[in-house]
Amino acid sequence: MPGLKIDHERCTECRMCYIVCREIDINAVYVALEPLHRIEIDLQKCTYPGCTACLMYCPAEGSIIEIEGGRSMVPPPPEAWQEA
Amino acid sequence: MHAILEQFLDKWVWPTMPGAPGAEFRLRLTREKCIKGWEISLQRTLGEIDEELASNDEDWKKDRALRGYAAEGVHMSIKQMSGQLLSVDIADQERYIDLQRMRARQIWDECKHSKLHADVLLGKGWIKDERELMDIAPANTQPLPAYFGLSMMFPHIHPLARAAQNYYQEANACLGIMAYLDRVEDPFVRHEHLSQRDEELMHFMEGKFQIDFLCGTQEAQRPVEEALDYLLHQVGGIR
Repeated sequence: MPGLKIDHERCTECRMCYIVCREIDINAVYVALEPLHRIEIDLQKCTYPGCTACLMYCPAEGSIIEIEGGRSMVPPPPEAWQEA
Repeated sequence: MHAILEQFLDKWVWPTMPGAPGAEFRLRLTREKCIKGWEISLQRTLGEIDEELASNDEDWKKDRALRGYAAEGVHMSIKQMSGQLLSVDIADQERYIDLQRMRARQIWDECKHSKLHADVLLGKGWIKDERELMDIAPANTQPLPAYFGLSMMFPHIHPLARAAQNYYQEANACLGIMAYLDRVEDPFVRHEHLSQRDEELMHFMEGKFQIDFLCGTQEAQRPVEEALDYLLHQVGGIR
């Protein structure tokens, strides 16, 4: 299954993805306790590509990427938000 | 449509979460009102940049930095956004806790932005330290009457009214930054804009999120549209 992860070289830790994920009650995005309290994505909870909500509100280009292949998903490509 | 605006729309405005309850409302506001305002604002900025570059002196850089220090400084941030923090009644705080968190974060961002304008003034040698700015009127005043006060916050105080400013006005900020980065080579001016770029875009995303997620009913949409009309017509002078 495809999954997403944070590119910490680009993420600004604004936490918009955390707010959005919490708003829709998936709660896959979380703030890791150690070591730097950075944003991470719990792959057990994340439903990508079924849900792409976090991608729509991330303001840091390239900061959320596909694990396999490392494709940048910010800004989101059309297939991530245009309904078939 | 200018290429800068088209790029901004394609990258950050049109991508929309399928099924978001307020998304249709946001896209209608965008098509019917925002794009016109953004286009006018961008053309104004580009025209100002062309005039500034044609002047062949650096006075405009000093003026810009002083005005930016006033517009994004501690006075604006604390008065305007803490006023909006107070617009959330205690009973509504659980419902709008993320909205309040975003406001608090924006206070912090805007105070930092004022420092970035001070960086230009310090880097160019126009001031020796930030304390000097306390004695320079343009660094502490705004042309818009009572802009920092509650009286001009919006047509009415509503927790969601700020979403219009985040969505519309912060997009103008993003477009202005893109315009300066496109036209100006001075490293201090580029720093002044580049170092704010992600945060201004985040503030735009706050508005996009608030409208998409919290404005699914006419009751919630009304204060946003009224605030947007106020920003377009009363503040922006756009008819």
